[in-house]
Amino acid sequence: MMHIDPLDVQILAAVLFALGLGTALARRNLFFVLMGVELMLNAANLSIVGFSRQFPGGAGLHGQIVPLFTIAVAAAEVCVGLAMVICITRVKDTVDGDAFADMKE
Amino acid sequence: MLSALDPILAPLTFWLLALAAVVCGGGVLLSRHPLNGAINLIGVMLALAGLYALLGSPFLGVIQVLTYAGAIMMLVVFVIMVLNRARDHEVPSVDWYGLLVLPLPLALAAGVVRVLARTPMAPSPEAVRGEPEAIAAAMFDLAPTAGGWWLLFEVTGVLLLVAAVGAVLLAKRELTSRAEAAAAGGDKEHGHDAH
Repeated sequence: MMHIDPLDVQILAAVLFALGLGTALARRNLFFVLMGVELMLNAANLSIVGFSRQFPGGAGLHGQIVPLFTIAVAAAEVCVGLAMVICITRVKDTVDGDAFADMKE
Repeated sequence: MLSALDPILAPLTFWLLALAAVVCGGGVLLSRHPLNGAINLIGVMLALAGLYALLGSPFLGVIQVLTYAGAIMMLVVFVIMVLNRARDHEVPSVDWYGLLVLPLPLALAAGVVRVLARTPMAPSPEAVRGEPEAIAAAMFDLAPTAGGWWLLFEVTGVLLLVAAVGAVLLAKRELTSRAEAAAAGGDKEHGHDAH
């Protein structure tokens, strides 16, 4: 693990984050919006893990504990998010995000 | 074990996994049907699990496979298949106004990478490998100076409970039970409640 450039890890995390952001912003299907958010969370986790091995001993371990909590929060987010998708699909019978732009009316 | 080959094998594995992650991430962005996107996202998560193990966090890699690729994506795939209808992929795939917003965060990401490129970064020789024992010892260290992860752990438990209850309440068709609804004379669900 000493032979991997930490910058490469961060660049990979940035690329994955950009892909997730593109998915969340540009796709209209609600499932893809949720999956884009998941991809961004994963990219952030990779970034944290990449940084964590620059610190000796316990400080680096803390950087490996934070992603565990990110995963738990992502589980809660997907749980509620999918319930919301089911709920609003029942109302409008579509998964097109633009169909739910009626709060302004 | 393979320390003589490490300078070749470690970067090779890294770039293979990185390529897999980026290709599958592009698949999430570009695929038409949500199910294809979900399968691609599982590919990203498995590649990231391998990367975590390679970067010295094997426990996190296992949790990634178990929780992310296993539980969370299983839930996503399950809901996609439950809600799957013929028009599921007839939703116009790209929101062109959303694309207009994209250049700004992309420029920000490029700027962050440029700044990082000028920062001296090197893996610490004394970095601890994230074995389960080490993670558990750091996480459940009750000393006041230890970071208090155990408290966060308890709060996460409450968060997951609240999320589960909230999901059930959101996805439930009616907040009353069937017997109560029938007693109230609600015949809206008559077709479904026939048996």
